[in-house]
Amino acid sequence: MSDTPQSEPRRSDDRSGADDATAAAAAGSTDAAAAAVSSKTGGIAGPPGGPGGVDGDEPAVARTVGESDEQLQDAWTDYEFDGDAKVSVSDLDTYYGEERALESVSLDIPAESVTALIGPSGCGKSTFLRCLNRMNDRIRGARVEGRVALDDRDVYGDGVNLVELRRQVGMVFQEPNPFPKSIRDNISYGPRKHGDLETGLLARLLGRDDRDAERDLVERALRRAALWDEVSDRLGDNALGLSGGQQQRLCIARCLAVDPDVILMDEPASALDPVATAKIEDLIEELAEEYTVVVVTHNMQQAARISDQTAVFLTGGRLAEYDATDAIFQNPQSQRVEDYVAGKFG
Amino acid sequence: MGTATKTTLATGESVVGAVTSRTVLGVTAATVVLAVACLMQWVAPGGAVVGIPVATLLGGGLAVAGCGIAVLGAGSRLGYIETTPSRATSLAAGCVVGMLWAVSGGVATTVAVGGGDAWLPVAVVGGVAGALATVLPREDAGATLPAAAVIVGWGGAIAASGGGGGWTWAPAWSSAVFPGTEIVPVVAVGGALLAAWSGASAHAGFGAEGRQAGAYALVGAVVVGTLSVLVLLVGFVVLKGITPVLTGASLTGGTLGLPFVDAAVPWPTLPFVTNQTGGLYVTIPGVFPALVGTLWLVFGAVVAAVPLGIGAAVFLTEYAERGRFTQLVEVATNGLWSTPSIVFGLFGLAFLVPRLSGGNSILVGQLVLGCMLLPLVLLTCREALLAVPDAHRDASAALGVTKWQTIRSVVVPAAMPGTITGVILGVGRIAGETAPLLLVFGGAPYPSNTPDVLGSFSLMAQPPFVTNDALLAPASALPYQLYTTITAGVFPKDEFTTAAFGWGTALVLLAVVIGLYAVGIASRRYFRRKLHHE
Ligand SMILES: Nc1ncnc2c1ncn2[C@@H]1O[C@H](COP(=O)(O)OP(=O)(O)O)[C@@H](O)[C@H]1O
Ligand SMILES: [Mg+2]
Repeated sequence: MSDTPQSEPRRSDDRSGADDATAAAAAGSTDAAAAAVSSKTGGIAGPPGGPGGVDGDEPAVARTVGESDEQLQDAWTDYEFDGDAKVSVSDLDTYYGEERALESVSLDIPAESVTALIGPSGCGKSTFLRCLNRMNDRIRGARVEGRVALDDRDVYGDGVNLVELRRQVGMVFQEPNPFPKSIRDNISYGPRKHGDLETGLLARLLGRDDRDAERDLVERALRRAALWDEVSDRLGDNALGLSGGQQQRLCIARCLAVDPDVILMDEPASALDPVATAKIEDLIEELAEEYTVVVVTHNMQQAARISDQTAVFLTGGRLAEYDATDAIFQNPQSQRVEDYVAGKFG
Repeated sequence: MGTATKTTLATGESVVGAVTSRTVLGVTAATVVLAVACLMQWVAPGGAVVGIPVATLLGGGLAVAGCGIAVLGAGSRLGYIETTPSRATSLAAGCVVGMLWAVSGGVATTVAVGGGDAWLPVAVVGGVAGALATVLPREDAGATLPAAAVIVGWGGAIAASGGGGGWTWAPAWSSAVFPGTEIVPVVAVGGALLAAWSGASAHAGFGAEGRQAGAYALVGAVVVGTLSVLVLLVGFVVLKGITPVLTGASLTGGTLGLPFVDAAVPWPTLPFVTNQTGGLYVTIPGVFPALVGTLWLVFGAVVAAVPLGIGAAVFLTEYAERGRFTQLVEVATNGLWSTPSIVFGLFGLAFLVPRLSGGNSILVGQLVLGCMLLPLVLLTCREALLAVPDAHRDASAALGVTKWQTIRSVVVPAAMPGTITGVILGVGRIAGETAPLLLVFGGAPYPSNTPDVLGSFSLMAQPPFVTNDALLAPASALPYQLYTTITAGVFPKDEFTTAAFGWGTALVLLAVVIGLYAVGIASRRYFRRKLHHE
């Protein structure tokens, strides 16, 4: 797994405005999802291996139909699974000012599994993720409509305690962002601020020093994030001295330390090298035994490898298809999703 | 060089060129050192060093450097020395050399003819010729030969002047009279700068490398010049002040009573720093009251300004929406920072004095200086807060930590080093501030007791429940002491003259400011260490 080539996300920054360009090449069928890696600028060139002439008649259809709204069917997002939904989203609309970033997204996320969110950049994956722990509240002008339920409790309801919500729904960001503090302090930061750990002079004077508890907690979180062996002898060192991959695992450990139910990860490995990426991927699969993991990724092999179910967003903030990962990658129902996972646009 | 042939140069050319250019640079540096020594009056320009007249040394140095540069330029142009010249020298260099030619030609004409208007055409023609001679030929000739002519000419003039003793220059546009003994070293330094530029350029083989080397030579000279101004200033104060400060000092002259046991050990004494200034029994007057006063002032100002400044910066950066209001505050803060200190003093006198102490007092001095410190703390803290990456705030919020806790435990600590930089700069300014202290703070010019701030707190039954007589009384501070001593004219004790006591005070003030810097820099390092991996 460690020699997996990092599939370079085919970013096209003005993607949201130039939809038809992306659709131009959405034609011809490539069955292997693996071909997704190859095409560099999916909008213009066809898959390098494929004969260019075959696309001849289809682009005209794909250009209009491929990106049109009619083609999406609600049935494609119905994903049946056993057990209750941990997170249930229905008719979610999100706006930044006047601009709509998500359009009536509905999906249920099963507990203790890995759910991958994929889609071209700018299609609202990060926005969707931030709706789940209300990090969008921090963005000026962001407005959320619809219902998000965590264990059947409305996340956007009145009197929801943001502190409690975010303790339950942790988040890991694209760039590793440890605090400029020691490794130990990074881990114990959350519990300390929540008052679960009391350390320091006053606590010691009052005889309520939780240093032993802190040590246990730090060790547990670091072990859980597969970082303990690498840092156990330098917990007092500044976290910024760790490598990028270690920093990202530290951020995961920091998130685990507050004992969440759901962990949201926004492209957690996209800033890392292949070896570090592989470690993060292994870790995500392991975490899914205990936690509900929702991971945004730009890397389709990654989604195929680690996730149990996959949701494909398309430009305009629509959820195109949501199904078991195998189904999405091998037998997608939507032509657009098929083209997307084949790397023809996005 | 003259006897060298092409065949031998083919193997030895770089050696010859390198030796010559090194010699040029070395002689230039030596000339600068000697010229500065003349300016500092460490050696008399009319005197001699190791038996050779100084003027001959200075002029000879320039002449040697100039000839060396000419040799390098000609050698390169004629192909004896391998270099990589550009097609032409820069226009800027041409202008400078042309101007030097113009000045030299004009001055030479005036000296030769003795007055009249003849200098003008000579200067114009000389200037144009010098500029063209620099700009037109290939770089190796243009950047060396015209400059070398100037350098050699100046060198010869200096050598001939005999050190400039006996003649002066009294320009019509100024009432100042410049003695030749000062003009000669200044001209020598100027010629040496030109030689350094040209020589460095030649040393690097002209072309892009050469221009860079020439620029480095000039930039280096500027840096050395700046540093020497600093060294000069500090050195001057130290030289003048060290004698009064060390009066009566001894390493083992004092005694230190040990606590608990009835014994005493020898202890260093420094009466100038530890004695009262006035009073009947003081034999060696000191600046202790002023020193303590300054420390209290700085302490009080920091205590008043730093929390306020940080608080305001946190509010502006973290809570207030960016908009008209924050802009207004920013403009007001900048304005406050550039407000003259005497205006702060006047404000203190008119507003704070009647309300707080009814007369000059330490407390009002602290508050006025705190007002002066506040804007700088606010500005630097705000900048530092803005520089804290949003990723930290997001990470903390995603853990469910409240905004205030995030600010307290992540954002403000990360902004600490920047804030401390501001405090350091501000403290440097207020510690030496005199003008407002004259209005709101200063007491007796020669105090015979030290403000006992710590021991003067007393409780009382009605508000404000705590008073401190010492804080409400006037005192002395080092800059204030310096001012009163110098303006008083006569020093009441025989031990020192007014000037000696003043220099001593200045030295102690300098030491205090440097000490405060050291404290500030140490604490900034401490916070940096904590924040960054080192
Ligand atoms: N903070 C923001 N303010 C305004 N618009 C935003 C903001 N964040 C994202 N958007 C817009 O919302 C859309 C979806 O963005 P995002 O969720 O970041 O996409 P993705 O993560 O899938 O690349 C984009 O068109 C983007 O321009
Ligand atoms: Mg994103």
